[in-house]
Parts: sequence; structure tokens; C-alpha cells
Amino acid sequence: MILVLARLAFAGIRTRLLASALTIAIAAAVVSSLVIAVEIRATGVTPWQRTFDAAHGAHVLANTPTAADARAIAARPGVTERTEPTPIASTQIELDSGDTVDVFVAGLEGHPSVNAPVSTDGTSPRDDGIVLERSLAEALNIGVGTTINLAGTNGPTPLHVVGTAISPAQPRYPRSNPGLAWLTRDTLQRIQPSPGQWSWTVALRLRDPATAPAFADRAVADFPPQTVTVDSWQAQRDTALQDAQPVTVILTAFTLLLMIVAAAVVSILVGARTSTQHREIGLLKATGMTPRQVSLVFVIESATLGLVASVIGFAVGAAAAPQVATASAATLLSPPQTAISPWHLLLAVVAVVPVLAISAYLSSRRAARFGVLQAIHSGEPKPAPRARLSRAIARLAPSLPVQVGLTDLLARRRRAIWLAAAITVTGAVLVFTLSVQAALNARPAGEISDVPTELPVLIYTLDAVLLVMTLTALVAVALLSVRERIRDFGILKAIGLTPRDSGASLVAAHTALAIAPALISIPLGVALYLGIYAAAAGDTDGVDIAPWWWLASVPIALPLLVAAATSLPARAASHVRVAQAIRYE
Amino acid sequence: MLAGPGAYGYELKQSLEHEFADVLPALNRGQIYMTLGRLERDGLVTAEAVAGDSRGKRVYQLTESGRTELTDWIGRPIPAERFKDQFFMKFVVVAAAGLATPRRLIGLQRREYLRTLRELDTRLDAGDQTLASELLVEGAVLHLKADLEWLDLIEQRMEDQGAYA
Amino acid sequence: MTHVLEARDLVKTYDVDGVGTPALRGVSLTIDQGEFVAVMGPSGCGKSTLLNLLAGFDRPTGGEVWLDGERIDGWSEARLARMRRGKVGFVFQFFNLVPTLTVGENVELPLRLVGRRRAAARRVCGELLGDLGLPGKRDTAPYLLSGGEQQRVALARALANDPAIVLADEPTGNLDSSAAREVLVLLRRARDRGQTLFVVTHDARVAAAADRVLSMRDGMLVDEADLEVGVGRLPGSGGQR
Repeated sequence: MILVLARLAFAGIRTRLLASALTIAIAAAVVSSLVIAVEIRATGVTPWQRTFDAAHGAHVLANTPTAADARAIAARPGVTERTEPTPIASTQIELDSGDTVDVFVAGLEGHPSVNAPVSTDGTSPRDDGIVLERSLAEALNIGVGTTINLAGTNGPTPLHVVGTAISPAQPRYPRSNPGLAWLTRDTLQRIQPSPGQWSWTVALRLRDPATAPAFADRAVADFPPQTVTVDSWQAQRDTALQDAQPVTVILTAFTLLLMIVAAAVVSILVGARTSTQHREIGLLKATGMTPRQVSLVFVIESATLGLVASVIGFAVGAAAAPQVATASAATLLSPPQTAISPWHLLLAVVAVVPVLAISAYLSSRRAARFGVLQAIHSGEPKPAPRARLSRAIARLAPSLPVQVGLTDLLARRRRAIWLAAAITVTGAVLVFTLSVQAALNARPAGEISDVPTELPVLIYTLDAVLLVMTLTALVAVALLSVRERIRDFGILKAIGLTPRDSGASLVAAHTALAIAPALISIPLGVALYLGIYAAAAGDTDGVDIAPWWWLASVPIALPLLVAAATSLPARAASHVRVAQAIRYE
Repeated sequence: MLAGPGAYGYELKQSLEHEFADVLPALNRGQIYMTLGRLERDGLVTAEAVAGDSRGKRVYQLTESGRTELTDWIGRPIPAERFKDQFFMKFVVVAAAGLATPRRLIGLQRREYLRTLRELDTRLDAGDQTLASELLVEGAVLHLKADLEWLDLIEQRMEDQGAYA
Repeated sequence: MTHVLEARDLVKTYDVDGVGTPALRGVSLTIDQGEFVAVMGPSGCGKSTLLNLLAGFDRPTGGEVWLDGERIDGWSEARLARMRRGKVGFVFQFFNLVPTLTVGENVELPLRLVGRRRAAARRVCGELLGDLGLPGKRDTAPYLLSGGEQQRVALARALANDPAIVLADEPTGNLDSSAAREVLVLLRRARDRGQTLFVVTHDARVAAAADRVLSMRDGMLVDEADLEVGVGRLPGSGGQR
């Protein structure tokens, strides 16, 4: 029996290639987004390891107020290699614009044996020369060969930028603020002559690297709380990889939102199918299929589409994850690498396929319950008018075509609700994007923002993807409804509705439908923004919301976009030929 | 009626007229009594004078053999009519002799059928009939529809044969 | 006097896979005010095609269509639609009503389309529904009505704007005989009130109710029977008047 159902399901997919393609596209987007979200952190693991090895990194890195404290930690058992304590001073870089940027400078004596900076450009520090950490240099747009002024006790000190370097222990600037730069010890003493103002860092390698966290805990316990920090290499790695966290948060949210759109599309498409295929369904039931088995055909269909989409989305996501992570590789020696794991594919399947399957099941259940005779003999089970709703529409609608279009659209209540949901989601993401842009604009010029530069680009890209998906789905659904209602359009034209009126009724109805969801999407979008901000930044202090006139553009722009999208199906509606439309079936 | 308590001749006439009022021509009184006389002669009914009736009217009633005959009649279906169409005879003869085009004949006949149909329908619309006469009219209507269909069929076949002008 | 509807030598040829299939091969007819004209013929004879051309649902390959003194066969879709609002009422064989609108809204559609105010439209609709034996069905959904009731609603809608002519395509084709009779009674009553009717039918009873019955075969008019008592008309050849 299951084979029969499966064969029916595949036949269904084959005969409706476009609808299947749409479903696969949206589901694949969901999967890609999910896969990137899950993998992006891991794409940095190997590159970080390479950076660590190149730097001969510190299994334990301690930061203390005095050199003696540093030596005390270095003397603990289990340490196989150590450096001499390195002094660290706090100062500012003076930019051309007059602003200053806080920075830590480390005074090196020769090349450290452990946790050496890995040169990425130029040379190592020399007198009158400074080596900037690479992400700091990129953020401030300072190149090798230029001269910068460092604030010193004796006034601004000009220094040549002789090179850039990276360190496995230094996360990306500006997320890690202040940044880091390296000088010679002499230069450091010139900048900040008073050793009392220095802090010290010592880099250790252990006999057993796995014990680093325990070592760090014990070392910290020897000192009064909050005076020293001791990081194991695992902690360094986690901090470095945490750079991807905002992206993960955003992608996860986007995945969930896109899933709503995917569920909407599947529900609408399957719902429409079960009503147009009522005759076949009736015949199937006459030959002995139960309503549940009929639903099962649609479930198998959607599940199959979901599986295909999972594979495609997984491939796309795995390939794209390193690309998305590229910007955060500023602190890493090599570019991010794909970090495929079969578990991720499984996760994608488990996330997406049930959503599609359940949507299909629920929306096919109603139609599958029609009696056999009713399905075969009566016309298509059409939606019935609701008197009160019709009267309300009749009162509010500005013209007859709008009234007719809106009545028909709302007569299929579930479909209207799903469309409204998809539009609401799209609007909310638009509001979110506007808020992000407003937050960026709100920063004073020149001030370094702690929002990574690639984040707005990512958000705009995701927004565009969602918009395209929703509008494409809208076009598909509208075209579908024109085909379903072709006889109605024929009747209306016969009575005297002009072609333009027919098209206008379709556009006006969908546009009117979009108004309320667009309005609701504003508070939802703001809530989304606040939620993600809190998840990424830890709290919502100092968060700016976009100005009201920006937000007001959403309930205007979104319905206009909907109108533009439905204008294509509207042409199909206006071109209906009465003579053909009134044919029997 | 004769199977029951018996009836006078004029009672029979009245009830017949009542049942089939508009659709059958008025019955001649003589016809009733002639038929009754024949039935009596064949031994199927008896006639008895009623005491105290000065006009000499007699009450008719069925005999035993009459009852048997009645039962047989009830059980015997009316044979279906076949092959008896005046128009068709006329059509074949006239068309074969080349005296008129088949199309003309069929057109004339069609008009006649349609007009009669129209009359019958108007009569039904008047709505003042008993169920029996209504059914009779409906029967005639259906026959006419069948006849019209037959005309169409004749036309169609003749065209297929290339014999139509 | 201008005819209400006139067809001059109408020709319609369908192009199916490069092969031209003639559906109408030169049909001419006139319909005058107050006439009830019926067209009969076997399936495929072109009577529905003729109706589609007369209503402006399709363009003729050749010939002219004149409605109320204006030639309409070259008009744009939009102009035809606007013309139909006030001048032509149409009854199909089935699927006459927009299923998502109530009965009342269906009937009011033509009224609203010509710009009548809602209150006036409701009043006319109520009268029509009452006349046609469907009082109180205004707020009912179409699918709850029987086939005969739906056709009566369709007729109400066709008559709503007092059109110059009502065109009907097999109005009783999908009905059982009693429902068909009801519809026929209403058609006759409309004619008695002066409505011009043009009906395509295969039901001889409907044709018999007409004043003139045209017979079609193979895309041409082959016979014309005038059923008004006393007037005889001999059938010509080729359907020319």
C-alpha cells in the first residue's frame, strides 16, 4: 500500500514541477541558513589551531599587575616552557580626525619563545616602529609604512607602522576593545616610563595541555579575586571563535522566520491541490483509500521535497559557511574552512522535513474528508461566502472590483491567514533591518562601532532573500488562485467586468490583505530587534530603535511591493477569455 | 366502477368525462350504452332494473366471467407501438418520387410538431387539470420530443449518406 | 426600426494545430424587440459559437455583429464588457454564479457595475428574487441552492438591468424536467413582459416556447420555423433571409 501512495506522491511532484521547485527553494534556504548558523563557529577551529601553532601559542596566558606575580605563576609545576614577563601599557592612538582610540601596547624584547605575534605583513617591532594587530589596523584603516602618533607621557610620539601581526590570544577588534600593538621594550619605556603603570603578561606551555583549565583555576585562586586573569588555550580559542556568535544568532532567528514562510507556502500549495484535485481524490476513496491515506500521499510528497531541499541546502550552506565567516578570519592565519559534519545534515532534515510534512498533513486533512460522491459529482468544493464578512467588505470596499476580489480572497480563510503570516514575517525582518541601520547611523562619526562590518551586509542579504522568497510565493499563490477561479473570472467578464477591473480586483485584494500584517509587523520587528540585540550583546542597554518615520515606511512599502508582485498574475486574470473559461472543466 | 357496487350508465359517462375532461372529445351517450350492450351480450355484465325507478334505468354490474376478464385485462400490458408513423410513410414515398425536397418536408413537419408542443405546454401552464389529464398531456409532449429527435436523426443520416438536398 | 441584435454573414474558424476548423460558415439573422428566438441543432453545429460571438465573448473570423444599432465585433474587451453591463443579460448552462458571493450579491452585480447605489440595487434585487420565486434567499450561499434555483438566480441577474436582450446558452441543459419547466415558465413570462430573448437549446420544449425557432447544422442556419400561429414561412437554403 505504501508503494502505491509513494507512486501517487511522485506523480504529484512530477506534474507540478513549478510548485515543487518553489517549495524546494524555500526549504533549501531554510536549511542553508540553519547549516551556516551551526557550522560557522566551527569553520574557525582549524585556522585558529594553525595560528596557535604558528605562534607557538601559550597553553596558559596569565595577566598580572606585577612582574613578580607573573613569575610566581610561571614557577608552578607542570610548566615546560615560559617567557619572561612582558610589560603591557595602556595608551591611545591619535587618529588624523583628532579622535583617539584606546590600545594596549606590549613591549617585546626580541622574539618571544611562546605566544609570539605571527607576522602577517612587514617586519617585527623595532625602535621607532610599531606593529599593529591586523584587525586593529584594518578597522582603523592604517597601512604598513604610514606613521601614527601614540599618546605618551611626554606627549604624542610618532611611530612608523612597520608591520601587522595576529595572535591566537587576541580576538578581533573592535569586538575585543582595546586592541593590541607591539613595540620594543625601549619604545614602551619612552611611551610610559613609569613601571607602576604597567601590567605584565607571561605565556606558559604545559607538559599536559589538556590540564590547562585546571592549571588556570588553581593559579587564579592564589591571588585576591579580580586582580589577575589566567586563560587556558581552550578559553582563548572559545573567545576567538565567539566572534561568529552574532552571525549565529541572526542566522538562527532568520531560519526560524523563514520556516514560517516555508510552512505557509506548503500549506497553501497543498490546500489548493486538494481542492482542485477533488475528483481524483474522490475516485481514490471510491476504490478504498481512507482519508488518512489520502493525506499521507501529500505528506510523502512534502517530505520528499523536504529531503531534496535538505541535501541541496546542506551543500549550499556548507559551501557558504566559510564565505560568511571570512570577515571574522581577520585574526586567523588561514581562511575559514568548511566544517562539514553528517550530523548537521541530520539536524537539517529533522528541522525542515517535519515542518513541511505536518503543514501538508494539516492542510490536506480537511479536503480529504469530503465524501466520495460529493467529491466526484459536485463541482469543486468552493469556499462559501460569509454573510457578515461580506457585508463588512461591501461597506468598506471603495469599488466593486475590490469588493469582489477581497471577498474571494478572504473566503479562503486559511490561505489568507497564511499569506498574512508570511507578509508579517517579511515586514518584521524589514523593521529589524531598518533598526540595525538606524543603530549604525546613530553612532558618532569616527567612533569605532562594535558591530562587525560584515553584519549589516549579512542582514541586508538575508532580508533580500526573505523578500524574494515571500514575493515569489505571493506571485505563485496569486497565479494559482487565478487558475482556480478562472470560471468566476469568466462569469464576471460576461456580466461586464472589464479586463482591467479583473486584474485590479486581484491586485487590490492582495494589497488590502497586506496592510494589517504590515502594521502588525512593526511592533513584532522591534521586538525581534530587541531580542536579537539582547542575545548578541547580553543586554539591551543603549539600544536605539529606528525613528518612527522609517518604521512608517514599512506599512507603505510592503503593500506596494505586494501590489507590484501581484500585477503579473493580474495580467493573467485580465486576459481570461470568457468562451474558454465557461467550459465545463 | 362496474367491479364495485355497480353503476348507472350516465354515472359511467360522467366519471369518464371527469377524469379525462379536456383531452378526450366529449363522449357520445350512445357510445356508452352500445358498449354496455355488447358487454351484456358477451355475458360480462348484468343489468338490473332498480325497484322504484320510473325511468327504467338499469344498474350494470360485472358477472363472474366479467371479473375474470377484468383481471386478465389488468394483467395484460398494452403492446408497444412500432413502425406506425404516418409522417415517415409520407416522407419516404414523396421523397422517393422526387415530388418535394426532403428538407422541405422535414421542415414543415418540424414546425407542426413545435406548434403542437407549444399548444400543449400552454395548456399545461393553465394549470386547471386533473392529475390524469396532466399526465396525458405530458406523455404527448414527450412523444413529440421523441418525434422531433427522430426528425433530427433522419436529417443527420441522410446528410451522411449524401442524399440530402 | 433597428434590430436589437443582428448577425451579418458570421464566420468563425478555429485554428487547431495549424488546421482550420470551421465552426460557423456564414450565419445571418436578426432579432427584433420583444422576440423570443431559439436555436436548435445537434452538438457541434456551432450554436454555442454563434452565441459567444453575439455576446462578444469571442471575435468572428468574418462578418459583423450589430447590437442595438452599433457594430460591436471589432470592439476592445473593455468596451464590450461595459456594453454588456447594461445591454446584455447572460445565462449559462451551469456555473452561473460566483460561489464566494451570496445570492443577493450575485444578482446585484450588474446593477452595481452600472453605478446604481447600493440601496437601489438591493431593492431591485429583492423585487427580482420575489418575482422569480426566491424570496428570502438573498443571503444564501449559491452552493446551497438546487440547480433549478441557481438558474433562476442567474435569470434574475440577467434581467437585473432590464437589458436589451437576454442571451441564454442551454439554460435548462443541466436541470431535471420539473426544474426545467420552472425556468421555462419564467422565460416565457419575461417575454410576455416585452423582454427580447435569444436562447440556444437542445430541449424541444424550450424551443417550442419561442416565437421563432432556427435550426443549425454544420455551422449554418438550415431552417427557420415561425411558431406564431397563422404565419407560414418556407425554409430557404443556407439560412439567408
